[in-house]
Amino acid sequence: MLTNLFSSTTIPVLEEVAKFSQIRHTTLAGNIANLDTPGYKFRDLSVDEFETRLQEAIEASRRPPDPYTPNQNASSEERLHAFVAKKPHTILYHDKSNVELEQQVAQMVKNHMQHNLALTVMNQQFALLKTAISGQL
Amino acid sequence: MFPALDISTSGLAAQRIRMNAQSSNIANISTTHNEQGEPEAYQPRFVIFQTDEEVGAYGAPGVRVSSVEVSDVEPIWRYEPHHPDAVKEGEYAGYVAYPNFNMMTEFTDAMEAARAYEANLGVIDITKDMQTQTLRILA
Repeated sequence: MLTNLFSSTTIPVLEEVAKFSQIRHTTLAGNIANLDTPGYKFRDLSVDEFETRLQEAIEASRRPPDPYTPNQNASSEERLHAFVAKKPHTILYHDKSNVELEQQVAQMVKNHMQHNLALTVMNQQFALLKTAISGQL
Repeated sequence: MFPALDISTSGLAAQRIRMNAQSSNIANISTTHNEQGEPEAYQPRFVIFQTDEEVGAYGAPGVRVSSVEVSDVEPIWRYEPHHPDAVKEGEYAGYVAYPNFNMMTEFTDAMEAARAYEANLGVIDITKDMQTQTLRILA
């Protein structure tokens, strides 16, 4: 009953977005902390891959569950949070580090906005549900 | 969320230690005595940074100071025969050993450390905001 209540909204999707951007924030914070560490290569989570997999997961949840493959949704979470990838496609400084402060800060601000966007929409969804439950405006 | 705070804090601490080494270098730019009071030029200190996987999470490491190295650069020899620290005999008789490092380099390094410190503080602000927003769901 409750599962149906929440899955009729976009709350589960927003939850994944918030979770992803929190973990991505941690990786970006690690990059900025290691600005001056010689030999450090910056790490990041792939937003594109996350979006593709989230899309797949949303489509899978809309299909009726297949009785022959149990626990389809159980592994969805670990599929959403992909591993941390090291990107070599940047300028290498003389200390063999490739962290660019401007780029990292820009990514972090974007990630921050995405996170807050997800949470704001989630709050609105909760408010809507509340209104529906109380039955009055 | 909390690992992000720890990571940024490790960055702050590391940059502060680096700043300490640089201010020590600049303060001792004319020091010709060592701690024992013997004539010896001050040797500049270098802070070595290293990634610290213990602080981090999700594959994102923190940073720590692995060691503070003392340079072994040849001092600058200045001819000051009446200086009490002048070498009495040998090849460098009458010369005083002065620390050999560039003040400009130290200042630019100090500025870099200050900027990196600020960057970490900025990250902490963003982290705090994200946490506040998350907690607001409960309200």
